[in-house]
Amino acid sequence: MKRYDLIVVGAGPAGLSAASEAASLGLGVAVFDENAKPGGQLFKQIHKFFGSKEHKAKMRGTAIGAELLDEAQRLGVEVFLNSPVVGLYDNREVLVRQGDAVQHYKGDGVIVATGANENILAFEGWTLPGVMGAGAAQTMMNINRVMPGKNILMLGSGNVGLVVGFQLLQAGSKLAAVVDAAPYIGGYGVHAAKIARTGVPFFLSHTIVKAEGIDRVTGAVIAQVDEKWNVIPGTEKSFEVDTICVAVGLSSSVELLKMAGCEMKKDGLGVIPIIDDDGETSVWGVFAAGDVSGIEEASAAMIEGRLSGLAAAGKLGFVGPEALKNRKEELLSALEGLRDGMFAPKNRGKSQDSTSEGLPVSKCLLANGFLDDSETFSYPGVKSVPGLHPVIECTQNIPCNPCQDACPKGCIKVEGKIIALPVFDEKSKCSGCGLCVASCSGQAIFLVNEDLGDGKAAVTIPYELLPLPAKGAVGTALGRSGAPLCPAVVTEVKLIGAFDHTALMTFTVPSKFAMTARFWKNEVPA
Amino acid sequence: MRIKSHPILGEVKPAKSLTFTFDGQQMLGLEGEPIAAALRAAGVMIHRYTKKRKDPRGLFCAIGRCTDCVMIVNGRPNVRTCVTPLEEGMIVKTQYGAGEASK
Amino acid sequence: MTLERNRDFGDYVPAPDDDLVICRCEEVTKGEIRQAVRDGMFNVHEVRRLLRCGMGLCQGRTCAKLVKAIIARELNLPAPSLLDATARAPMRPVEMKVFANEKGL
Repeated sequence: MKRYDLIVVGAGPAGLSAASEAASLGLGVAVFDENAKPGGQLFKQIHKFFGSKEHKAKMRGTAIGAELLDEAQRLGVEVFLNSPVVGLYDNREVLVRQGDAVQHYKGDGVIVATGANENILAFEGWTLPGVMGAGAAQTMMNINRVMPGKNILMLGSGNVGLVVGFQLLQAGSKLAAVVDAAPYIGGYGVHAAKIARTGVPFFLSHTIVKAEGIDRVTGAVIAQVDEKWNVIPGTEKSFEVDTICVAVGLSSSVELLKMAGCEMKKDGLGVIPIIDDDGETSVWGVFAAGDVSGIEEASAAMIEGRLSGLAAAGKLGFVGPEALKNRKEELLSALEGLRDGMFAPKNRGKSQDSTSEGLPVSKCLLANGFLDDSETFSYPGVKSVPGLHPVIECTQNIPCNPCQDACPKGCIKVEGKIIALPVFDEKSKCSGCGLCVASCSGQAIFLVNEDLGDGKAAVTIPYELLPLPAKGAVGTALGRSGAPLCPAVVTEVKLIGAFDHTALMTFTVPSKFAMTARFWKNEVPA
Repeated sequence: MRIKSHPILGEVKPAKSLTFTFDGQQMLGLEGEPIAAALRAAGVMIHRYTKKRKDPRGLFCAIGRCTDCVMIVNGRPNVRTCVTPLEEGMIVKTQYGAGEASK
Repeated sequence: MTLERNRDFGDYVPAPDDDLVICRCEEVTKGEIRQAVRDGMFNVHEVRRLLRCGMGLCQGRTCAKLVKAIIARELNLPAPSLLDATARAPMRPVEMKVFANEKGL
């Protein structure tokens, strides 16, 4: 039986991080993955990540994936693709399907990083072609570069639904609506806001009644639900869509851990392994890292992977106690930074009425996906001053601070913990470089000059859609809700390397719309 | 429909065209893509009909987990088309029920 | 609340959505699962041995939670209190000829 110091199951963000951390300490590491390509779901995450520098914030998932692969390769990690692990037996014996045989391997340590499966909803017509997981749509458009559909209804307003919803717009599909049975949007407000301002409606407290169609989806019916989640008759709404995406959460893929006899605990309708802060399960030498140990962001999965890789190295005698302790502290502190704020695992399901600064959380944002125009000035990133200045519409405590690092003039401060709301320092001088706008993973920063003279204002927005308009193009400025406000002329479209594919579009509007116009559409108002 | 240009991913890298057949009809796909992607790009939605209810099914999870997209490929039934790379000359057929292996 | 097998859960009452397919692979409906519960199958493990829901090609990856929720509702018990199905090899579909072709022992 071929033996490795460490066997990692799954070449996603957690698995690759675990493998590299261990290999860097001298372990011989094999990674088995069932897919033809490594990276897990990272290469379909084309959005910029949240977090801090140490969490690879503002990098896109695709770039992070490439970096992880490079690192693993450089450190001599053996990655076996098309190699599904089909069993995990006593004494860390791993059974892998390779070609026409099942191959036995032995790991002195085993790290299970098998990720998660998408949850699903059963409703009338849900087996029709055209109903698919949101992750499936993401695979089709971002990996295979094929549109999952032309007209799409998104079920679920968690981060997956919101992120994939926006990516559908980027792929050129039309998003008919985002629907969620909960009364409030589940994901980050900034993710919802970037969809809402394009004019996509949110239907909260709504559920899908049925998918219509004979042999494929041709429509969908949704209806409002009461507090007990029962459909309220007479509230049905129909949509002509060819695709229905379901984004109702993820379940940890724990089968191998269960088979290995790891002790589990309840997690919603499923189970997750009981682990210590190294990720070690109740079975000696078997670790769980990433989504398999509980659903979180990929940024957390990468640190969990490193912690497990490090702990495995320590356990097998590859690293001394002092070095082990120092590195572990460093990783735990990075993880702690991410596991804070309103969306942290520890705060899941708790009501979030106010921020850690004591500011009220916008009910309008939670119920409709956009800030009410009257609320924006209550947040520390939004101030009205003469001349060009950033407007930071960041209103929830999310672990993220690249905007602060991006500003060369020190206009933006994220003080204390990285979940703090960014503060715009009105005494500083904005140079208009736009780096903050491009650095914001939530696309929540704008540059505004409220008075250009002539009663006009300039608004600069982050723009990640095609086609990019030409300078001089006349279109319509939309408000935060996506409602048309007024004609708007594009005066500049800037896309430089440092913006990493986020174009900065500047348009002019009458001054009274300076603090409300937040999107531009290539349509001339009637 | 294929996504030709994309604001983040840019232009699609040119790939070699492959010919394959779907229920006898000649089709074009691209080297390196799974069978399901080539079918979806060509507008094919139905991959199989179920055994009991004869219901149409298509792509559902796209990562090889749900097995709803299985078809008969080169005479072999139950092939997960979302994770099986397309090859030149492949014979892809709609699967009915459990799919009889054809000769 | 714990499961008491001798408790009277009442008779099966048809519901309008009984024809809804829950297990996509084996085409098991909500009504069939609800009836199985009334017939004494009180967890995912028992129901699937009777109906095969979760024993098709995908091995319950899609429907396990849905089945669990239906059983819990029928028994009026919190879903997490129900026993899950067992996890055993092979974790992915493997043809028998491949599974029998063991190497590296």
